[in-house]
Order: sequence, then structure tokens, then C-alpha cells
Amino acid sequence: MTKIMYEDLAWPVRDEVIAAQQYAWDRLGRPGTWLSGVERIAVAAEARNAAGCQLCRDSKEALSPYAVEGSHDHLGALAELEVEQIHRIVNDPGRLSRAWYKGLGDAGMVEERYVESVGVIVTVVALDTFTRGLGMAPWPLPQVEAGAPSELRPAAARRQMAWVSTLSPGEVLGTAESDIYDGAATAAHIKQALSLVPEEQRSFFGLVDHQYMLGVQMFDFEKEIRAITHAQIELVAGRVSALNQCVY
Amino acid sequence: MLALRASAQYDGREIDLSVVTAADDGIGDGGGGGGIANGEELIRFANAVLGHDEAELAAARTAIAGTLGGAALADTVGVVSLFNAIVRVADSTGIPVEEQRAADSADFRAAIGVDDFAAAGEKGSG
Repeated sequence: MTKIMYEDLAWPVRDEVIAAQQYAWDRLGRPGTWLSGVERIAVAAEARNAAGCQLCRDSKEALSPYAVEGSHDHLGALAELEVEQIHRIVNDPGRLSRAWYKGLGDAGMVEERYVESVGVIVTVVALDTFTRGLGMAPWPLPQVEAGAPSELRPAAARRQMAWVSTLSPGEVLGTAESDIYDGAATAAHIKQALSLVPEEQRSFFGLVDHQYMLGVQMFDFEKEIRAITHAQIELVAGRVSALNQCVY
Repeated sequence: MLALRASAQYDGREIDLSVVTAADDGIGDGGGGGGIANGEELIRFANAVLGHDEAELAAARTAIAGTLGGAALADTVGVVSLFNAIVRVADSTGIPVEEQRAADSADFRAAIGVDDFAAAGEKGSG
């Protein structure tokens, strides 16, 4: 087990942030819903490896991400299709398109595995960015835990507003998945994005709730809940989104 | 950025949202803070974490800790790292911007260049 701890730093990291990170990090090595622990760690390792990919560097500088031909520099543990998913999400997320996603599907990508892999990739991105920001080395990936994925697809999942299937908040009320929207009948699209694999949604939104804030706190300007103000939080959030060319 | 604008309106402050999308054209050049307290240091830090200059990152980190304090640095890192991840959730799953949010932000999205991002057309911003 990798122990997430920041006690040696001069800057105090809140306990709830550490707990959310520990939960998300531990899950990387465990059997997921559609990926085994071995596969999840392979995705996590490839997400880290992607930063050094020459094809991705050349593609990012090109006017179109499809203008450069070649192969990704990868670790060899995953299929090319999965490597393409991971590298593009890590290195050029702002230019992902519906056509690109459809191409993966046409080539055999399984939707549920794609969404779970997104959850793994963004967990690695989140924690690696966190340690980099604090001037620390990245955390070692956790050990693989044995076991089989559950392969439980929520009955109400269907293709609606996103490229991937999602769970509509109104349709999960009273079901085992209603907690992912806190029992509400509506939810922001971002909160629905990973809902095809509810465990990924729960884990990632643990980070969201504690590193950013709860949805109900976003517009409660009377109460500052962090060591930086709402305005400062949103300035940083907006800047990072813009640097990634994200329109959401 | 709706929340950024709303927070400023709540405080009765004028802010310049264009600093969010301003070109990152040099070390330490955050393009001003847009009217947000310590905005320049915060933008500089976000640029540095997502950049590749280790000396600049160390300097930007020291600047935040020195002006806002250690707890603020930790919380700022939390926001930077969370948003560096959440944009990838949004962009890889193809969720569209909510209609109401798109309508409410249409004025500044166009003005500060968000509608020029590659994904704007198919994700409901353009």
C-alpha cells in the first residue's frame, strides 16, 4: 500500500484531501468494474509514460492531431487502441472529438472499459499534478490486488447527452446508484460523465468535493471554505481549463 | 467562469475575465490578476504547474506561500490538480455544456476566446 502523506511539508494539506486521495489511489490496484487490478495499474503506468511520447509531442504541435503519422512510445502492456486512448487524453484532451471516440469504438473499444480507464487516467493526472505542484516526487503506483472485475452495468445507463452512455439523475432515484447524485433529480453534466461506471464517479468526485468544493458551495459566496477565496479558486480553475483548451 | 464572474458581482468588484485565456507568453507573465486579489501570482502558479520550467515552478510556489500562506498554497495546488484532471473527464466523455450555462456565458465566451477552442463547435460552446 502506498501511504499518501504530506506531513514533511511546510504547507498543511487538509486531512479530507489526503483521505480522498488515499481512497482513489488504493483503488488503482484493485479489481474494478470492467478492468482487473493488473489492467488498471497498466493504464495508470501508461498514463504516466504518455508524457514522454514523441508522437504525442509532434501531434500536439500540428494543426490537426491526425496530421502526424507514427506509433506512440508505450510500455507494451496494453493494446494499441488503449494506448491511443490514454495518450490522447493525457496529452491533447482539448482536441478530442466525437469522430475520434467513434473511431475507437469501431476498432473494438468497449465503452465500459473506456469509461473506467478515463477514471484511472484522471486519478493519476490529479495526484501527479498535486505532487508536482508541491514539489514532490509522484507517489508510487499501488500493488496489484487479485480478483475479477464485477462487470456490473447499471440498468438505466444509456446513450443520451454525451459520447458515452450515462445515468440520468432522474432515472436512478431509488436505485443503488442514486448516491452518485446525492439523491438529487438533476446534476451537472460533468457529474454524469463517468456514471456508466459508478465506482469511478464516486472515487473521482471524492477528489472534486475536497480539492475543489461541493456543488452547493460553489455559489455560496457568504461563506469561504478554503484558504483561498471563491474568486481565487475560480480564477485558478478557469486558468487551468483554458490552458487545456477545455470549453466545459 | 460563471462562478468567477458571479463571485465578483457578489463583492461588487469589476474583474477582467480575459486574464483566464490570456497568452502564456513568458515566465512570470500572468497578464495581471484580472482584479482578483493575488490573481497574478495564482495565474503564474497555474501556468508553472502545467509548464515544464522547474525553476519557475519553485519560484511561483514560493510566491504563493509567501503572499497567501502555506494553507493557501496547498488549497491552490488542490484546485490546479483537480481541474487538470476534470477537464479530461469532460473532454474524453463528450459531455456538452448545459444549455442554460452556455446561454449565461455566451457573452464572455466569445469575448475572451473560449469559443475559438477546438472543441467549442461540437460541445455546445461555439
